[in-house]
Amino acid sequence: MFDYIINVSGYILEGSLITFQLYLVTAIFSVILGIAGALGKISKIPLLESILSFYTWVFRGTPLLLQLFFAYYGLPVLGITLQPFPAAALTFIVNYGAYFTEIFRGGIESINEGQYEAAKVLGMNYRQTMSRIIIPQTVKRILPATSNEAINLVKDSALVAVIGLGDLLRAAKVAVTRDFSIIPFIIAAVFYLIISSVIVTVFRKLEEKYSVYE
Amino acid sequence: MIKAKDIYKSFGELEVLSGISFEVEQGEAISIIGPSGSGKSTLLRSLIGLEEINSGELYIEGISVRESGKKAYQKMGMVFQGFNLFPHKTVMGNLIEAPLVVKGIKKSAAKENAAALLKKVGLSDKKDSYPAQLSGGQKQRVAIARALAMEPDIMLFDEPTSSLDPELVGEVLTVIRDLAEENITMLIVTHEMGFARDVSDRVFFMDHGQIISDTVPEKIFVNPESERIQNFLTKILSQN
Ligand SMILES: Nc1ncnc2c1ncn2[C@@H]1O[C@H](COP(=O)(O)OP(=O)(O)O)[C@@H](O)[C@H]1O
Ligand SMILES: [Mg+2]
Repeated sequence: MFDYIINVSGYILEGSLITFQLYLVTAIFSVILGIAGALGKISKIPLLESILSFYTWVFRGTPLLLQLFFAYYGLPVLGITLQPFPAAALTFIVNYGAYFTEIFRGGIESINEGQYEAAKVLGMNYRQTMSRIIIPQTVKRILPATSNEAINLVKDSALVAVIGLGDLLRAAKVAVTRDFSIIPFIIAAVFYLIISSVIVTVFRKLEEKYSVYE
Repeated sequence: MIKAKDIYKSFGELEVLSGISFEVEQGEAISIIGPSGSGKSTLLRSLIGLEEINSGELYIEGISVRESGKKAYQKMGMVFQGFNLFPHKTVMGNLIEAPLVVKGIKKSAAKENAAALLKKVGLSDKKDSYPAQLSGGQKQRVAIARALAMEPDIMLFDEPTSSLDPELVGEVLTVIRDLAEENITMLIVTHEMGFARDVSDRVFFMDHGQIISDTVPEKIFVNPESERIQNFLTKILSQN
């Protein structure tokens, strides 16, 4: 029994590699996309604002699973064929980028106008003001919402099993079918819980760090 | 030092500055008084480029704002009623931020300069505190030091003590008074009439977007030339 658990855990751990890769790629690029989207949304350039509003409306208003199917099964119809991992990564980046765009925009807009004015009269330009004064203050305010998304992403990542990516969940399911045992699912659940707990802890530490100035 | 000629400024339909002209010499301390809504803040904000004027000419140290824009503002610092300190930075961080990123001064030199300024405003022991840990009076003194860290020739103060508890007003006024002695050119919007009378070389009285009196403090406080000013002073003095 014990040997079996170790064995299956090793197998599921291999599957988690894909999950980790997807998580990392999505986290990095969707945050970058979110910052760019948020800056675009507050840019006061009407066309850019409209395009971005359309983007967040579509991607936050339709199921992630539909978007995933669209990228993997839909795009080939249009002559664009993606391998499962790129299709999944692209979908997740664009989807989470939409959520982060709105979260970051809200954060930036919550900063008092006086901060911009103080920076301006000290001679700082737009880039300096945003990167050194406004965005660092937003970080603290968006941490709770970002933490939620970070945990959602752990769970959403399991959706890629449906397009045949060998992630954590799929590895567990294969083991269940193969061994006719329920244990792989329990192990998978434990893995997900561990990952989520680590993320919660990281964010709690961050929030503590940022609470010094209030 | 500053020359304003026939400045007009409207917000939509509302004309807020209606033909403002004045000159300020190097080292002068000017108090700007007048009823709320008369355009005092808008005037200061126009001088430093936070508001764009609709017409008129503005020269800062001989540089035309219309022609050189930003360059004209570089030699001015401003202190706001609401402090506007950077909450995510320590007191020291607030003071060295602009010297580092705008002027490109070395960190050690910026810190040394900042330490001297903190000493001057009496807050050396607060250099590692965050703004949220300070009283209003301390915040405003940090804000003054932060503006001074850019070594401005002209300082603008927009009601620097209006959001302070009465017992904290004195410490801020003392700092501004010290600056006046150092011959920094200053324009101060204030409701502290005693202070205006003591420190200023001239007092502007603003009403409905115009400077209706530009004179020495003795004249305006002892022997105001118009009934409008008299009424304003009576009202404000009875409030204090
Ligand atoms: N950004 C703005 N938009 C519209 N109206 C404004 C704005 N700023 C000031 N005003 C109006 O301009 C007038 C003068 O304001 P202000 O310069 O703040 O006066 P004061 O500082 O003398 O109290 C007021 O009627 C005020 O409501
Ligand atoms: Mg005002």
